[in-house]
Amino acid sequence: MNPIRPTSLLAVAALLLTSLGAPRVSVAQQTRADAEKDPVFNAMLEELDRSMGHLQLPGFEKPFFIQYRIEEVDDFETRAAYGASTGSQHSHQRIARITVRVGDYKTDSSGARGDGALELASLDDDPIAMRSSLWSGTDQAYKAALSALAQKQAELKQVQTPPQADDFSKEKPTVALAEPHKLTLDEKSWIDRTARDSGIYRTDPSVSAIQRDVHYSSSAFHARVITIWLVNSEGTIVRKSTGGYQESLGVGTQAADGMRVDRSYATTGVTIKDLDSPETFKKTAVSLIASLADLRKAPLVEEEYHGPVLLSADASADTLRSLLANGVTATRPKLGTEARTNGPFSSSFHARILPEFLDVVDDPALKTYEGKGLVGAYDIDDEGIPAQAVKLVNSGRLDNYLIGRVPVRDFPQSNGHGRAGLTGPSNPLIGVFKVTAQSGLSDEELNRKLIALAKDRGLKSVYCVATLGVEATPRMLYRVDLDGKRELVRGAILDDLDQRALRSNIEAAGKGLWVANYTGDVPSTVLAPALLFSDLTIRRANEKNEKLPYYPPPD
Amino acid sequence: MPENYSLAARRRRLKSLSRFFRFAAPVALILFAGLTTVANAQQPSPVLLDTMTAELHRAYTSLGKQGDDKQLPPYFLSYAVSDASAVSIRAQFGALADSSSNHIRVADVQVRLGDPKLDNTHGNHRGSAVNSLQLPLGDDREALARTLWLATNAGYSNALDNFLRVKTEAQVRAKEEDSSPDFSQEKPQISVAAPAPLVQVDRTAWEQRVRTLSRIFREYPDVYQNLVLLTAQNETDYYASSEGSRVVAPHLQARVVILAVTRAEDGMDLFRAQTFEAETIAGLPSQADLESAVHNLGKSLEALRKAPLTEPFNGPAILSGRASAVFFHEVLGHRLEGQRQRGDEEGQTFTKELNKEVLPTFLSVADDPTVSTFGKTWLSGNYTYDDEGQKSRRVDLIQDGVLKTFLMSRLPIASFAASNGHGRAQTGRMPTGRQGNLIVTSTKSVPEADLRKQLIDEAKKQGKPYGLFFEDISSGFAVTTRNSPQAFQVIPLVVYRVYVDGRPDELVRGVSIVGTPLAAMKRILATGDKSEVFNGECGAESGTVPVSAVAPAMLLSEIETQRQQQGTARPPILPIPGAPATSSTKEAQ
Repeated sequence: MNPIRPTSLLAVAALLLTSLGAPRVSVAQQTRADAEKDPVFNAMLEELDRSMGHLQLPGFEKPFFIQYRIEEVDDFETRAAYGASTGSQHSHQRIARITVRVGDYKTDSSGARGDGALELASLDDDPIAMRSSLWSGTDQAYKAALSALAQKQAELKQVQTPPQADDFSKEKPTVALAEPHKLTLDEKSWIDRTARDSGIYRTDPSVSAIQRDVHYSSSAFHARVITIWLVNSEGTIVRKSTGGYQESLGVGTQAADGMRVDRSYATTGVTIKDLDSPETFKKTAVSLIASLADLRKAPLVEEEYHGPVLLSADASADTLRSLLANGVTATRPKLGTEARTNGPFSSSFHARILPEFLDVVDDPALKTYEGKGLVGAYDIDDEGIPAQAVKLVNSGRLDNYLIGRVPVRDFPQSNGHGRAGLTGPSNPLIGVFKVTAQSGLSDEELNRKLIALAKDRGLKSVYCVATLGVEATPRMLYRVDLDGKRELVRGAILDDLDQRALRSNIEAAGKGLWVANYTGDVPSTVLAPALLFSDLTIRRANEKNEKLPYYPPPD
Repeated sequence: MPENYSLAARRRRLKSLSRFFRFAAPVALILFAGLTTVANAQQPSPVLLDTMTAELHRAYTSLGKQGDDKQLPPYFLSYAVSDASAVSIRAQFGALADSSSNHIRVADVQVRLGDPKLDNTHGNHRGSAVNSLQLPLGDDREALARTLWLATNAGYSNALDNFLRVKTEAQVRAKEEDSSPDFSQEKPQISVAAPAPLVQVDRTAWEQRVRTLSRIFREYPDVYQNLVLLTAQNETDYYASSEGSRVVAPHLQARVVILAVTRAEDGMDLFRAQTFEAETIAGLPSQADLESAVHNLGKSLEALRKAPLTEPFNGPAILSGRASAVFFHEVLGHRLEGQRQRGDEEGQTFTKELNKEVLPTFLSVADDPTVSTFGKTWLSGNYTYDDEGQKSRRVDLIQDGVLKTFLMSRLPIASFAASNGHGRAQTGRMPTGRQGNLIVTSTKSVPEADLRKQLIDEAKKQGKPYGLFFEDISSGFAVTTRNSPQAFQVIPLVVYRVYVDGRPDELVRGVSIVGTPLAAMKRILATGDKSEVFNGECGAESGTVPVSAVAPAMLLSEIETQRQQQGTARPPILPIPGAPATSSTKEAQ
């Protein structure tokens, strides 16, 4: 391990803080013997032992670390369009990811590639078949690791500045055996419900006026249970299981000038109970469809605006995720440099990156918030390290990074944020990323403040972003008059919304937090308050407007 | 969470869906389609076909005829819908790895603007004329019609854009070598057969069968990877066009693929694959027959691992019937595709050879998609209507060695103006002239024992110590474009040396064929008297389509071979789990 430099006493303090947070995960005293009752573990451990004991190419070194991760994915998805099912798919597979490291903790074979192999593993609990997949992957991964280490040693000779940290952290083994979840669904009823969702534009009388103008209406239901078996040569044995459920609807049309108008909505959760009730979903769907009519009629946004903009908590969650959450992870810097990590905050350790009234913690142990299930929650990360609550930003200052088992300068240990997408390698990522404001304002206070800012600057109106689409494109954007009257406008993009704006442009933040569950490759959650920016740019998008339909839709 | 749904995302998804129909394996094996032969005009018209017809008529009579800025109306519009239900069961290392089913409908909308002489599909724009969208599965007319409307709008917009570019390019380009029109005139086809039922497979029973087959490889510990895959697909193709065609044609196929892989001590990767095709799952071979096939592959790979490496060779050889079938498909068949005779980038090997002798006079070649079996073997390349709604028919490509015609889609060429029912494509692609069942026949056939004697005589005559016998070859790809060498690519899998001095035949490994195709084919001296079938999946510009090739064994006076390029990775360090312990293994611990 790298000695901690004198300049980083604060880092030590930060580490102490995080390790104090660690024991929130209570791990029962389970043992390898308990694990071996599971035929999957039994096969994994047997092959792991054989490989650690005997895998060696004559004249080369043995592996010092092997890890097997088997992911069982039970996945059901059904889709529909215009009120009718377009089909569904139920897939069930097990995939093994095999990691082999040669060298030692200080310098090993790990790198952009060379430390992993993937194999399809058997669905049957057949020990020979399961071991065969692991054997095949281990052989490939070991050979690749040998050549990767040789290459790395050659590269190390090319640079004057030595690596700033070890290649791999030493960690205590974890044994934790959670019960696997099961995917139990009435598939038929979800196929029907999804078909109904996509047909709401046809069936609900309150939106009959826009029915013919709806260009597409597509819905989906997706349910997935993932069970992970993880073993490594240090003695870690972890079984964990999670569910993810999502019901969604997307509708779209064009305005008279050809501009595309799209709306979508998804309800997401870790159990099926987390999803909206059919009544609530339908109500949201109807309002989504009705908003198409409003958007079609809405005037174009002015050509360019500079001034205060209020981002709703929903829009703030998306913004903080892309600008902040992805930047506070610590990854190995380029060889030969003195950098600590990569990304927009690579040199911001202990610097202010947010206004003083904002704090950020990533706490994967937070499983629900105001009764809503959080998809980003977990007990143990994908490298077998118990999750820790990490206080990332204190009063605006960056005091910590999220890190897995690849150390960086001043951060020699994992804080339980090594997370992996299906079949992928692990990388430091957020779990439950919670942004809070000290003395946050109510919605009403924020709106008052927005208008007060407008008056100060002599503006006739200001803007409020309710929801964002992709790439900071507002989908529901309101122009707010000085008397508080709101008017929906369309065709805008947000500009100047960057890390600098986060640091020096946030005037106030809300009290209540929005729960944004992201069911991407690695599920994550962002809890965020509304943010009032003192100066952002809103511009007309001026995207290519496609032609209107060349002929009317069928009756 | 961002509102991240859009139409573009939906189209992208459609592209990824088509991957369900391809299973990645070390070699491009694969699957599906085939068909039933009955076309019954008395069938009640399915709701899907009626909706397609009605919506097509509405689009055809509306497009370009409304609004202030009148656009060009299409001169041709077609909807081709593939409705396919499939089951796939896969085992490896003796256990089940995947078992899934799927049902999907995809509509391909083709819009043509301009006129048949010059339209939006001209030259490199051909692929752009097809727009695809996933269709609802049931009989909900409104949902079906709306989806077709959405796809037609996108297709029409695309066609307008491409037609503009075609016209501009036509003005700045020198006269084309082949100034044929872009679309042939054909009579509308009406044939409404009963749609195929959803595929039915006893999943539990077949999972066990597939698992058991894969488990046999445990007796062959040098087989490092194996795969046993069952696929069954029932597909119905619906076709409607503005010319008045209305076609419903079912296609069924069941398939078992067995693949096994090993590596020689020197790092050479070796594989063998065998496939079994039938119209339905009930027609597949018995479990006992499949088990014996697995054993044969296992034994073959163990023998190949230990076989000596080949030496460069230039001399006589026999291609087995199966090997000849692959050879003819790759070397000859692809070059007889109509569209390869036109286009600036095509090699046009045969374009000017019409009515000339291109093969020895004792050989004839036909492509006949109308036949569904050869002897008792099911032929994958059979179909009743092609993907442009044209009735399939037998085409005599080469008669007594003389080239007579090409495999024609509705893309005319200088020598032929009409389709001959060979316009084929994977869903989502523009059809082009493709093979179906390529059948090679010979009037100079001798019993295979005599053919072997002739091989030995020929080798003696040439002063060679041996001739080669190619028992099995895998198809590679045929390169027919102008700036590539006119070489064919086939991968010999099992090759023997047949010695002139009476020594037993010797298996060799690492043989790769080199040389030019025309020359190789003209050196055929005689054929065997029994034909063999190769069923496979053929990939080209219009995607992957099921094909067959049938040919007798062939004696070639001269074939040039060299050692294939090989990997350098060592075989696995530890023995495969479950392998019987030997002095060199550590498995016993």
